[in-house]
Order: sequence, then C-alpha cells, then structure tokens
Amino acid sequence: MPLFGKSQKSPAELVRSLKDAVTALERGDKKAEKAQEDVSKNLVLIKNMLYGTSDAEPQTDIIVAQLAQELYNTNLLLLLIQNLNRIDFEGKKDVAQVFNNVLRRQIGTRSPTVEYICTKPEILFTLMSGYEHQEIASNCGTMLRECARYEALAKIMLYSDDFYNFFRYVEVSTFDIASDAFSTFKELLTRHKMLCAEFLEANYDKVFSHYQRLLNSENYVTRRQSLKLLGELLLDRHNFSIMTRYITNPDNLKLMMNMLKEKSRNIQFEAFHVFKVFVANPNKPKPILDILLRNQDKLVDFLTKFHTDRSEDEQFNDEKAYLIKQIKELKPLEH
Amino acid sequence: MDPRMCRKISSSESLPDAENVEYEVSNIIAPQESEENFLIEGSPEPNSVSWLDDEQIEDLDLNLDQTNLFFHRVDSADIIYRSKKKKCKMVGKYVMGDVLGEGSYGKVKEMLDSESLCRRAVKILKKRKLRRIPNGEQNVQREIQLLRILRHRNVIELVDVMYNDEKQKMYLVMEFCVGVLQDMLESSPGKKFPQRQAHDYFTQLLDGLEYLHGQGVVHKDIKPGNLLLTLDHTLKITDFGVAEALDMFSPEDTCYTGQGSPAFQPPEIANGAEQFSGIKVDIWSSGVTLYNMTTGRYPFEGDNVYRLLEAIGRGEPAPPPAALGPALGALLERMLKRDPALRPTVNEIKRHVWVQATPPLEAGERLVSPRSRRSDELHTSTVIPYLVERHYASAQEYFTERDLRHELGDGGSRTLSTAELSDGESTRQKRRWHSSCGRLPSCRLT
Repeated sequence: MPLFGKSQKSPAELVRSLKDAVTALERGDKKAEKAQEDVSKNLVLIKNMLYGTSDAEPQTDIIVAQLAQELYNTNLLLLLIQNLNRIDFEGKKDVAQVFNNVLRRQIGTRSPTVEYICTKPEILFTLMSGYEHQEIASNCGTMLRECARYEALAKIMLYSDDFYNFFRYVEVSTFDIASDAFSTFKELLTRHKMLCAEFLEANYDKVFSHYQRLLNSENYVTRRQSLKLLGELLLDRHNFSIMTRYITNPDNLKLMMNMLKEKSRNIQFEAFHVFKVFVANPNKPKPILDILLRNQDKLVDFLTKFHTDRSEDEQFNDEKAYLIKQIKELKPLEH
Repeated sequence: MDPRMCRKISSSESLPDAENVEYEVSNIIAPQESEENFLIEGSPEPNSVSWLDDEQIEDLDLNLDQTNLFFHRVDSADIIYRSKKKKCKMVGKYVMGDVLGEGSYGKVKEMLDSESLCRRAVKILKKRKLRRIPNGEQNVQREIQLLRILRHRNVIELVDVMYNDEKQKMYLVMEFCVGVLQDMLESSPGKKFPQRQAHDYFTQLLDGLEYLHGQGVVHKDIKPGNLLLTLDHTLKITDFGVAEALDMFSPEDTCYTGQGSPAFQPPEIANGAEQFSGIKVDIWSSGVTLYNMTTGRYPFEGDNVYRLLEAIGRGEPAPPPAALGPALGALLERMLKRDPALRPTVNEIKRHVWVQATPPLEAGERLVSPRSRRSDELHTSTVIPYLVERHYASAQEYFTERDLRHELGDGGSRTLSTAELSDGESTRQKRRWHSSCGRLPSCRLT
C-alpha cells in the first residue's frame, strides 16, 4: 500500500515509462530535457522499490519479482546500459544499483537474472566496452565485478574475444579507469579458481603473449600490478600446470632477471617472487639451467646484496638464503 | 561425547580455569590450592603480604601436599572481598587485558595496541609448557612461518611476534575475535545453529579453505573449536599448529602425518594409513564440522578415543537426520565418503545446491550471537578497566558483603555479573570516575 497519498505505479507501468523515456533520450530530439528528467525520476522510483527509502521498506517479493520479469521482457537493462552515457550523473549510479540488486536476486538455488544475462551476453559485452568511455567506466566497472561473482557470467566474459581488450584498458592513461579495469581483470582471472585454471590452460599462448606486453609496459603502475598478479597466479596451486609450463620457458626467466634489476624496488621485490619459482623448481629444463649456470656467480653476488635492509622479513630472508644456496650448488647436466 | 575428543590428541590437557575469578577471598588462613589464586595470609593487615599475580603463581608450578589441606569454615558475612588488582601491564606497545581463552600451550589474552588503538588478541606461549607437548616447539615455529605468508579474509592474521627471553615466553599477536564457534554451539539450544547461520559460516569456511589449498597449505585440524568470529561475523580459520605446506612442485597433495582432533579425523587416518591426500582430510573435517553445526551431534561417536577411531575407521557415519532436508543430507553424505577420492573438491562443494541457495530462517529459530565464555554481550574491551585503574586508581581496596549489598540496593533478586562486581566500588569512586571521563561516550560505564 502506498504510504504517501499518491497511488503507486505498478512495476509494469514504471518499466514502460522508463523505457519510453530512455528511448526518447536515445533519439535525442527536442524533448531531450524532459526525457532526462523522466529517466531520473523513474530510476529513483525503481531503486526505491528494490532498496526502500528512509521511511518505506523495500517492496514485497512479489512486486520485485514482477519488476524483474518486466525488466527481462522489455530488455530494459541492455537499453539502460547502452544509453548510460546519456543519463545524468545520479541516474548512472542508480542504474548500477538497480542492476546489481536485480542481479543478486535468488529464487531457491536459481539466480534468474544471471540466467537471463546468459541468454543476452550483449549486456556483458556492452558493459566491458564501457571502459572505452571515461564518463561511464566506473559505473560499468561496479556492474561488471558484480557479474564476475557468478561463474556462468565470468565464463562468458573470459572466453569472449572482448576479454583481450582488458589488456588495453588496464594501460589507459586515466589512472582511475586503468585501476578499475585492472581490478575487474584480476577478479575475472582469480575469482573462480577452477574456471580460471581451465581458461588459462586452454588459452595459454594467447593470454601470456598479451600478458608479456603488460609486463613490458611503459606504465610503471601497469608493470608493477601485472607482475604482482602474475606471481599470485603462478603461486596458486589451482594453476599448477600453468606454473610448470611458465617456468620452462627461458624467455620468461630472462624477463624476470631483467625485472630484478629494475630501478623500482617494488618491482624488484615482486620479480623476486616469480624468479624464485624458476630456481626452486627441482626439474629445471636444460635451457633454464643453462641461463642460471651462465650467470651463476653474478646471481649469487646479486642476491647476496639484494634488499639487505629487509632484515625484519624472515620469510624473505629464508627464501633468499635458500635461492643463493640453490644457485651455488647448480651443476651442469651430465652428458 | 567426551569433549576431550574434540581436542587434539597430542595436547597435554591443562585444567581450564573454572571461573574468571574477579574476587580474591583474603581472610582465609589455611593454604588453599586453586588454579587462579593462591593466597597465603598470616596477619589480618593485608599490607604486610606480598601478593602474587596469577602468572607468578603458575610459574611456581606448585605441587601441594594434599594432606595439608583441611576445610576451614568462614561465615559468609565475614568474608572480605578485594577487587582484583587490575594492574596495567604493557608488553611492547600493547596494553594487556583479560584472558580470552586457554589452550595447552598457554593463555590467550585481549590486548590493545597503544599506537593504533586496535584491539588484538595475543597467544602467550611458554617454553616450559611447550616442551611438554609432543612437537610443541616445532608446531609453533611452523604455525608462525605459515601465518606470515597467509593473507585472506577468512584466515586469522598474525600481526606481530614478540619474544621475552627472560620469561621464556613468546607472544603471537593476532586479530581480535569475539568468539569461537565451539563455544557458541555449546551455549545454543540443541548445540547447533539454524541452517541459515551454519550456511553463512560454512561458505566462509569454504572460501578460507579454497585459499589455503591454493597456497598449498593443508590445515588438518578443521573443527568448530578452530573457527573464530570477529565482531562482524567474519569467520577466521585459526590454529595452524598441525598444518602442513605441500611441496610446490609436486602435483600430488600427499601427507604423511595426521595430528588433528580424533572426532574430526577421516577413516584413512583412523586406520593408520601411511600416506593420504591432505586436501581430502580438510574436506572430511569440514564435513564433520558442518554435520556438527547443523545437528549438534557427531557422525561418529564412541565411549573413548579408541572406540571412536574404530567407528570412524569403519567409515559408516550416522545418517544425517531427515529433518535437515535432502540437499544438506546429500552434501554431508558426499563429504563423509569413506574413500577420499569420492569426496568432493571445494569447488564442487561450492556448486552444490545447498551451498548455492541461502536457507531461510525457519519460524522459531534464532541466530546465535558470537560469544566466548568470558565476554559479555557487547564484547566490551577488557583492557579499559586496567587503563582506568592506571589513571583513576581507587583508594578503597577492600569491601565486605555488606558494602556490596549497600551498593546494589539490597541486591536481592539481581544477579551480579562479574563486570559489575569488579566495578562495585564505593559510589564516591564511581562518581569521580564518571565526572572525569563520563563525557566521552566511549568511556561511559554501563
């Protein structure tokens, strides 16, 4: 029952008038200002239905279910996202809030919105391309990360060609967009362990050739973040076979050895955590062993002087001592 | 079942201290043996006695001649109470509070970081006690080593490690938690949680386990007694004393030793297998934990440890009660498969219907609030009284039953909480304390 005088619009009416307003906005004719107003107003009404307000509880499950059903039937979610850049500042945030709320809806074990988006993957691709537009990037980011929590949706995104755009987004010059894109990128690669491991295994060459570019980026933040993430990925046991594959490639070892010598101490430190895996590997293939042997003395010398001021960090010092010992004891393969 | 079976085999049992004694009875002449307080007083003038604090008493390692003890009757009205000295003590930059819990290795106390004002918990390990526990010192070293690397929302964070060589003590400073699942279960009706609540904790346990296994760490002692809760209901896996780090370069997760708690051990360990899958041990123990949280019982029971292990070894768990519903029943049955290979992986459990759907709170069910045996409802900091004592020290050290009654206005039907008792000083003092810091909302006495 409405709490304040006016009779409340039904979910169907609300969704219809929002859709009309967004369509008018999209057309961009002379009534654009009025349309803008209508969009904002209707978005607030829908948001209040889902979240409630300071003096009204959220609507009952039945009303919310009707609302969700109308949203699916009219494809309004996609329309809203496609026109997100035309909606005003508060409205953009409302779209993200409505989207995330509807997405989280559960009926028993089912998540109807997730199922709906699976049939309409354009929603995901439109959201991902949101990183191309500065004014909607962060709104799309919040929606994308909410989507990434669901394995089915994460899978669609990972296995799409659009996923490789992330390697570009995380490097853009606007810092907050790049960071937002990186956190989504990381979420996609780490959230669902088995899915990620399968994906990386199946697309190893493509992903890591792209990844290599991040590690060589001109941008310090990109280099550092991607190196850190690489360490996390390789040291996670779920990615065991990816790790074993990565550490057999001499180019990867060379890259890490170069990063050990970078100017930035943070990058040196992160590189150390990847480098140690190459050295600790009990079954080093010949090309890796050769590189290490060729640089044996230099490496021992380098590591002995490496970050000596980290005396507090026992873990690091133990690992360093272990690596030095390993490298000292390296012997060429017989025959 | 004997609660002892829920603890580790390897730990030598120490007496749990009976009560959080806030009062010391001071006019008893005969020596009295007690875990908490050991007072010998010859003269009625208390000033002539040098008091020992709890820890000093424990350090004495007393072995009293039992025959020397005799009953000594003192009329209750004559008992003089003395509020326990809240002597403010600092270890490093931390202010010590009260005991939160106790294990075989030593005590866990609350602390306050005097620089960041963060509440912390400290595990105090005594070399002397550690030496008595098989592999004690080794286990602690391993725990420290593991906790240093691990960083996850659902894994306890080790904040700091301090050593006191003189006292032969080690302090492991950790995140502050308000309760152990085990204690909550014991205090709840039917010793179980509503499914809604168990579901919340179980999914967090899965997140923590997934992370641990991803880091190549097998916990090997998952049980409600090793799951803590923070104020915001975040579950923290703790006690890595018997955990093991897997070989990074081996695709297998083979382990050779099992030292966990009997009731939570899988059949392969109960049957003494030489090697077994470490990860599947954690899956089994999580299954027993879930069984226990939702039914208040254990899938295997026995009159003693041998019977229990025998029952586990046969691997026929008591079927989950039908009241749990088919989804949860099926999940439990799968997690408690005798053959480790048939048990699901964490990822498979996460996809299970019972885990996917949040069970509703049934009519009449109430959520159990996190609590330990010692904390009050609001989880007030126990460090504050020490700070109050330090800065607003009271003059009156002794008071009698009569004082107490007067203070509480006949105190007839009201039951005293220990907190009230310890603050039960004369009204004059109270006023002073109020006037000095009552203006700060966080300092207000409740």
